[in-house]
Amino acid sequence: MVVREDDADLFNGLHETGLNIDKQALAAPVKKAVDKFKLVPEFLKVRGLVKQHLDSFNFFVRTGIKKIVQANNLITHSRDQNIYLRYKDVRIGQPSMMGDSVSDLLNPQKCRLSDITYAAPIYVNIEYSNGGNEGIQRKRDVIIGRLPIMLKSCCCVLYGRDEEELARYGECPLDPGGYFVVKGTEKVILMQEQLSKNRIIIDTDQKGCVQASVTSSSEARKSKTVIRIEKEKIYLHLNGFASKVPIMIVLKAMGMESDQEVVQMIGRDPRYSELLLPSIEDSVKEGVHTQSQALEFLERKVQKSQFYTPVVKEGRALKILQETFLANVPVHENNLRPKCIYVAVMLRRMIEAILNKDTLDDKDYVGNKRVELSGQLLALLFEDLFKTMNEMAHQKIEVLLSKTARTSRFDISQHIKNDCITNGLERALSTGNWDIKRFRMNRKGMSQVLGRLSYIGTVGHMTRIAPQFEKSRKVSGPRALQPSQWGMLCPCDTPEGEACGLVKNLALMAHVTTDEDERPLIALCYALGVEDLELLSAEELHMPDSYLVIFNGLILGKHRMPQTFANLMRKLRRAGKIGEFVSIFVNEKQRCVYLASDGSRVCRPLVIADKGVSRIKEHHMKELRDGVRNFQSFLKEGLIEYLDVNEENNALIALYEEDAREETTHIEIEPFTILGVIAGLIPYPHHNQSPRNTYQCAMGKQAMGNIAFNQLSRFDSLIYLLVYPQRPLLTTRTIELVSYDKLGAGQNASVAVMSYSGYDIEDAIVMNKSSLDRGFGRCIVMKKLVAINQKYANGTSDRIIRPQRDGHDAEQTQILDDDGLASPGEIIRPRDIYINKQSPIDTKSGGNAGNTVKLKDSQYKSSKQTYKGTEGDTTVVDRVALCTDKNSNLCIKYMIRSTRRPEVGDKFSSRHGQKGVCGTIVQQEDFPFSERGVCPDLIMNPHGFPSRMTVGKMIELLGSKAGVSCGRFHYGSAFGEPSGHADKVETISETLVKHGFSYNGKDFLYSGITGEPLQAYIFMGPIYYQKLKHMVLDKMHARGNGPRVMMTRQPTEGRSKNGGLRVGEMERDCLIAYGASMLIHERLMLSSDPFEVQVCRKCGLMGYYSEKLKAGICSMCKNGENISTMKMPYACKLLFQELQSMNIVPRLKLTDA
Amino acid sequence: MEGVSYQRFPKIKIREVKDDYMKFELRETDASIANALRRVMISEVPTIAIDLVEIEVNSSVLNDEFIAHRLGLVPLISERAMAMRFSRDCDACDGDGQCEYCSVEFHLRAKCINDTTLDVTSKDLYSSDHTVVPVDFSDASSTIDNTESRGIIIVKLRRGQELILRAIARKGIGKDHAKWSPAATVTFMYEPEIYINEELMETLTMEEKQEFVDSSPTKVFDINPRNGQVYVHNAENYAYDDEVLKKAEAMGKPGLVEIHAKEDSFIFTVETTGGIKASQLLINAIEILKQKLDAVRLSADTVEADEQFGELGAHMRGG
Repeated sequence: MVVREDDADLFNGLHETGLNIDKQALAAPVKKAVDKFKLVPEFLKVRGLVKQHLDSFNFFVRTGIKKIVQANNLITHSRDQNIYLRYKDVRIGQPSMMGDSVSDLLNPQKCRLSDITYAAPIYVNIEYSNGGNEGIQRKRDVIIGRLPIMLKSCCCVLYGRDEEELARYGECPLDPGGYFVVKGTEKVILMQEQLSKNRIIIDTDQKGCVQASVTSSSEARKSKTVIRIEKEKIYLHLNGFASKVPIMIVLKAMGMESDQEVVQMIGRDPRYSELLLPSIEDSVKEGVHTQSQALEFLERKVQKSQFYTPVVKEGRALKILQETFLANVPVHENNLRPKCIYVAVMLRRMIEAILNKDTLDDKDYVGNKRVELSGQLLALLFEDLFKTMNEMAHQKIEVLLSKTARTSRFDISQHIKNDCITNGLERALSTGNWDIKRFRMNRKGMSQVLGRLSYIGTVGHMTRIAPQFEKSRKVSGPRALQPSQWGMLCPCDTPEGEACGLVKNLALMAHVTTDEDERPLIALCYALGVEDLELLSAEELHMPDSYLVIFNGLILGKHRMPQTFANLMRKLRRAGKIGEFVSIFVNEKQRCVYLASDGSRVCRPLVIADKGVSRIKEHHMKELRDGVRNFQSFLKEGLIEYLDVNEENNALIALYEEDAREETTHIEIEPFTILGVIAGLIPYPHHNQSPRNTYQCAMGKQAMGNIAFNQLSRFDSLIYLLVYPQRPLLTTRTIELVSYDKLGAGQNASVAVMSYSGYDIEDAIVMNKSSLDRGFGRCIVMKKLVAINQKYANGTSDRIIRPQRDGHDAEQTQILDDDGLASPGEIIRPRDIYINKQSPIDTKSGGNAGNTVKLKDSQYKSSKQTYKGTEGDTTVVDRVALCTDKNSNLCIKYMIRSTRRPEVGDKFSSRHGQKGVCGTIVQQEDFPFSERGVCPDLIMNPHGFPSRMTVGKMIELLGSKAGVSCGRFHYGSAFGEPSGHADKVETISETLVKHGFSYNGKDFLYSGITGEPLQAYIFMGPIYYQKLKHMVLDKMHARGNGPRVMMTRQPTEGRSKNGGLRVGEMERDCLIAYGASMLIHERLMLSSDPFEVQVCRKCGLMGYYSEKLKAGICSMCKNGENISTMKMPYACKLLFQELQSMNIVPRLKLTDA
Repeated sequence: MEGVSYQRFPKIKIREVKDDYMKFELRETDASIANALRRVMISEVPTIAIDLVEIEVNSSVLNDEFIAHRLGLVPLISERAMAMRFSRDCDACDGDGQCEYCSVEFHLRAKCINDTTLDVTSKDLYSSDHTVVPVDFSDASSTIDNTESRGIIIVKLRRGQELILRAIARKGIGKDHAKWSPAATVTFMYEPEIYINEELMETLTMEEKQEFVDSSPTKVFDINPRNGQVYVHNAENYAYDDEVLKKAEAMGKPGLVEIHAKEDSFIFTVETTGGIKASQLLINAIEILKQKLDAVRLSADTVEADEQFGELGAHMRGG
């Protein structure tokens, strides 16, 4: 056979490729199970990173706002029912700004730049009648206010835009949205953690008394009901009643006159009745037997209103029972029986809790918690403001119509004003104070300025959950890691210090639900065999053969086959017949089936398994890869479902498919999704000591890098940028999912772990000067300067004038252009003038705001603004922007920029919570080098490892080293080794050996100083290093002479005021102990606040020095005979005088020294 | 008074020379000389690099400092560097460093006028001196990338963006800033000496031999396919990683091989940035090293030496 040459080549080629098969691919574990990872990006694609915020806001805009308006849709005149105004419909328009009678469409970037609120008008359709004979009139699209719009929500112009369109709007395509722009600043409404509403919570109070509490919240009312056992008797605590009331009397007042019925309802177990007996006796003692007696008793306990005496005296107790007491249980036609049953269930659970402490509810259990989102919070605010607006309109109508003579025609539609809602919303968002008197809500710090320090910080801010308690409480319970947090809240990402464990972050795949319509679900429950309680006797309530069915905290009835019922409901959910976020939870202990469709529950998707066999097969994933399928279709076909924390208790979830057993009901999608966005950046976090990951979570937010694609067109007050940011060589799946690889915050530094020069103790690092020359760690700091050209009430205004090119301050005006403003590109130095502005001397009198007044030059005083920067770095004017602010004044914004290279004292950190400052900078030729010519960028002391136990960092080094040598990014996702999302050390070592390195990552280095080999092999390779925002240049401070405080004449405090450095108590103690009296005297008096006083030896009081007589005079003795001059600190003199002013006479007794 | 002379006569044997790469042996001297040579090559051999940038128009996305920094790092052909003057001690200009003896002027003018992104590269830098131009890497591997391989990218421009600037290049040394360092890589290693204990080696089976050979991450040993003997394939591949020694120990045959570093023999690898030729870099480095030694010797005679070096000064004079 003749083999032609090119054939032979072909053969060789084949042979070669055969040999060149990537060993790593071969070494990778054979995946028996289906690789479900692709679901995660798919999930995030449909969900976005901040879907919870967007969903919540969309829900408010689409449904919530309509419900609120519907519930309060009528304004009428109190006497004439024909005068009325009715809201028919409400909708949100496009974000726009009302100019002079024309509305301008807005986009977020425009709002950021010109300090306005990104808001859209709220339109209502109204129907009204003025009571005359004009009949009913209608108006469409009346604006009742302007609602700040969440970015990327369904009302936003950015909704559903692709990358190019976003770029055209000046928006970063990677920006997650989910925040508001209020007066130009970006505000996030943090997720608020709360205890479940409308649920019975059994716990103990501070004294250890068992109590059952329900925080009721319905559309109409919000109240809190507490039933507590005190000294064996059971009482009700309710806001409507002035003091506690015995629960038996309350039950009697609601129509449960028979004690037997009560006992039956709670349960006939003798232990139960025993505990109930004291309460029953109590009510007998009070002489209450019938409903009317009970109501009479309660009437006496009704809280007296502080403001006004109500007209109706009678029936207030019944009203409270109907409305305030357990407000979440609806009352139809004065039927209080559902409330009786509810109380019975509460009592039963309390008694159970007394008998068995295990049945107490855990307040820290995530299933008992709700995460309130911006939509709900805005809804509360809007509801209050809307009601206020209607009330105001109502009052105005009353006042207007009570006048007999009216000048103009009455038109009711003119009296709904829109500034109440607009201002109320804007104020709440910009201050963060939610003051809602109607709901007794008074919370501060609800909104925060979106952190724009780094991209990851921004995303992290959006997933943050604010705590329900104040941070000062010294309790460990709520701070501890809860097992039920698994997959819902990130176990790593929490701050250190006082908020530790209280502030949390959502995990990657967690979702927060929104409300869902209850009515069809309730109907469905009845259809599926739930027996209505109305039809049952008290005895039947707790029959051993049935479970109670509780829907959103409301007792629907009971069911004889709870498991079948739950399975049916779940089947319906998987089939998509009911909402995907409805949770069905069978509580065996409490013999209840809990159904929940309410909002604010945290839940997460899981793969469904039948008898331990995953429903997702390889062909499903292939379809997903081919784009035939998406996440939604997985949900719809019942392959995946959302479980909330409660329902997870009914599931047996296998971590991996291989672990699934017969009983397994669900399989995790990917284990690394239990971490949040920020913890997801850490490579090999499962090899680190746990606190290290927490530290990194705090530091990752301070790292410098790229903020957003539009970072150079933003006007933030402070921006830190890295000149050459890189993506990490050792990445994780999360990094790719959140696009950290596109907006990185760090650089891959070649690190040698060794001791060098002694300037590396205490975590300091030694840096290579040549690396710094070439741009390592170089950063750009941008700051904003603002100047406003103010207009005044008398028609005068500031003016900006052309600078004088010669004269005494020509030096400082060098950077100004002829228009009086600093021009871009100029170097700005401390004390330079950046705006040559003049203000009128008289801004009050004369003229009026309407017409501008011409003033003479002499009527202006200079009010130029000077730059107060620190010496030591070169700052340049980067951009100048002119815009009108909200008061239509001319506003001039400057961005100034300085480029800094790392210096000794700048802070750096790896991704493993290993921070350190730059200890010294060393010439490259002094640095150790390998025979390949590799020279590290920085040297880290090996003492950083043993106590920190950051093994992940070592693996990162190995992985990155293998990555650079073979040209493939290595992965280090959390818990990723079994699923192939993290490279194993063995395979990494093989790669290293293949490229001629030692398997353990150590290299043979030569000393750069002597040229001799180092005694040890050095662990060397690339590690991703972050430059943190703390730089010496911003902190360095020293002072000689300087400003002093007016009152005490002591030096000022703090760097910003050029203050002195305090010799404090402890320093003073040292000096006293050492006996350095002269030094103490010099530090505490001579260099601080020396003062000369005239003291009268006779009366011991301080006199004064008379310039006229050239002698000291005692004003007490009225002469100057016994005056001595002495020195004392001014503060001391001040103290004496202050004491004197309080009628205390300090007398000085002088002796000769 | 005359002490023992430690004078030696180091020899250099050049193994391989390319424009920007060189490998040579330095023999019969010790680490101090080798290291001095390395250090001088990195940080004392002068080159020319852009030191001052005056930006006239810059509407690109990168700011002025950014561009200036990038320009500074562009390697320039610096054959002239040794003959040039440092601008700080140039007497032709009064210290402003803008005369022909101490500086070279560059101009860059670029504007993007169409919709495709324009790459501004080092080739857009126009030099006032034809001997000092940005390094051109394209010709070396022109076979692969024919499509007008451009130089080092400085900035990319979009439609309407413009960059006009004037830059002054000056002579400098790597000690001041890494941009003046002519060396990309300068490194040396001790030449290893490997003795195979043939007797002991023969006690190994073929598999054990293979195992022993494979134990080194770099290819140091090999097996002669004909007689099955282990021989030193390339001693210089040995990275002093002790892997083979450990392996021998593990096999229960300590002393199977003995490896020593030759104390007086070094193998240098030099790569330059392209600014000067690798061979020139070595020559210049030796020249500068000589000058530095001369400076020490000269100052050794003076009184200042005593102030500067104290007792050491006397010692240097041979006291």
